[in-house]
Amino acid sequence: MAEDRRVRTPLERTENAIIASAMLLMAVVTLQPLLNLLAISLSDPANVAGMNGLTILPSGFSLTVWQLLATHPAVLTGVVNSAIITGGGTVLNVLFTALMAWGLSRPKLPGRKVLFILVLVTIVFDPGIIPDYFVNKRLGLLNTYWSVIFYHLVDAWYLIILVRFFEEIPEELLEAASLDGANAFSTFWHVALPLARPALATITLFYFVFHWNEFFRAMIYLNDQSKWPLQVVLRQFVVEGDKLAMVGVNNSNNYTDAAQINIRALNAGMILLTIVPILAIYPLILKFFTKGALSGALKG
Amino acid sequence: MAQADLAIGNVPVKIGRLDLFRRGAGQWWPYYAMMAPGIIFFLIFHYLPIWEAQIAFEQVRIIPPNIWVGLKQFQTLFATQVFWQVLANTVIISAMKLAFVFPVPIAVALLLNELTNARFRQVIQSAIYLPHFLSWVVISAVFIAILSPSDGAVNDIVKAAGFHPIAFMTEPGLIRWVLVVSENWRSAGWDSLLYLAAIIGIDQQLYDAAEIDGANRWQKIWHVTLPGIVPTIATLFILNCGMFLNADLNQVINMSNDVVRSQIDIVDTYVYRIGLTTGQYSLGTAAGLFKAVLGMGMILAAHFFAKRFTGKGVW
Repeated sequence: MAEDRRVRTPLERTENAIIASAMLLMAVVTLQPLLNLLAISLSDPANVAGMNGLTILPSGFSLTVWQLLATHPAVLTGVVNSAIITGGGTVLNVLFTALMAWGLSRPKLPGRKVLFILVLVTIVFDPGIIPDYFVNKRLGLLNTYWSVIFYHLVDAWYLIILVRFFEEIPEELLEAASLDGANAFSTFWHVALPLARPALATITLFYFVFHWNEFFRAMIYLNDQSKWPLQVVLRQFVVEGDKLAMVGVNNSNNYTDAAQINIRALNAGMILLTIVPILAIYPLILKFFTKGALSGALKG
Repeated sequence: MAQADLAIGNVPVKIGRLDLFRRGAGQWWPYYAMMAPGIIFFLIFHYLPIWEAQIAFEQVRIIPPNIWVGLKQFQTLFATQVFWQVLANTVIISAMKLAFVFPVPIAVALLLNELTNARFRQVIQSAIYLPHFLSWVVISAVFIAILSPSDGAVNDIVKAAGFHPIAFMTEPGLIRWVLVVSENWRSAGWDSLLYLAAIIGIDQQLYDAAEIDGANRWQKIWHVTLPGIVPTIATLFILNCGMFLNADLNQVINMSNDVVRSQIDIVDTYVYRIGLTTGQYSLGTAAGLFKAVLGMGMILAAHFFAKRFTGKGVW
């Protein structure tokens, strides 16, 4: 990028400093709220009430909040449900997206154009949530994990990205495979998939984020609280402000440890817990996606 | 193997037949078998709902079948004051986002590109891309925390400056701005990536030539960098216009509360509320269908417009 090696004038140096400060400010504004929540969640519960929103250092130190979260039944079932939906959903997403993309990427496939139109129409026309609800009801999927997995089994955009990727695979490689006696599926499995690894990794990460962050369908399709993913639990506690659900009616009446914990500290811990998996895969996202997007531009 | 076969006398005819068979329908069934789950998914979860949407033209009865009532639900809808209010809200919020969210990533990309220290730039990028991957539930919870009148970061600053704290989340006059700011917090960083990619694609010789002409930093940005990313800006602007009726359900539903609902209730949240929480399925579907048809027209218009002027469409 703008890597100029020539001698800089004082004016340019000042400009550089201003630009760097502006970007630093943006990074601080992005991260400070999360660091503040972390500080609150790690502080001594007795001190939380007096903490302001700007500090990023805990006041005292205590793991009470995290201990409570780690043993809270609603939180634990939320984690398990999110893991099931995210894990199962992502595997099925990637598998079926790749399978469909492989077929669509074959230039001579009969009906290819019709299938493309079939997919594109869904990008342009979306009849809304109520017909979708009735389809799930008709299929008996309501209140099952499938309702939040199936409705987004193949993402039209990711499908198109993968099709473009498969189309780039040199024809000779595929011919060589079929001369070796490979059938359509084994060519897909042993030749196409390994070559598409960077694209598959990106799509896997994005499906993962999609499922982990899913809350709307989960909220309306999963009536049973025991099936709620973490996002819906978080919404209930923090956005809807359902404090008793968090602390528990009994605890609240008996003034046990849980009730002593500042609700603000509990909220802070809950928010952070919900983004832990995202933080865990974030380095991979940076590696695959940003590099991919930038190197793609360089080549183009 | 094929070569070995060729060596034997009159086999070419046989190979020809085999080839014909291979190129015919028989060759493609494995591909269709592999695509089947995907195709079935699209039919069931995207086309069956279109069929189900006929409920918009029906009166739902407790004991089926429903009665066909034609456009009656739409007449009811268009006579409903609230519907026009949510449509207006949708347009206003989208317009505000187009004016105050859309340009921000462009500025971010230009500034990122001016950072001379690659390591520093990487650190900044790693920080500012993160919120894009957080859910609106999380972002809403974060904003409730930082906008809290009693102990939120923003009001700590407001108070330090000597003013009274402001209850942003429950202030009807400000809640739309909360949507704008939170949208920026979430996407200003990540969306700049598209522009940054376009900037990297700009021919370095153009910068060298500008330098020889004695251009300073701002002249280079104005005369080389900006013109270089104008096609990207134009494409994304047109596509954004095409998405005008999608004011982001997930954001609004998590930022909303009874005090401010009238200001930020959009078509999608309205459909959800009257359809799925109060059970007016037909009226809700009619509202959804109205938005879907209008939205389709806008996306198609945006697509062909973008394709015509920039060579790149929605797909």
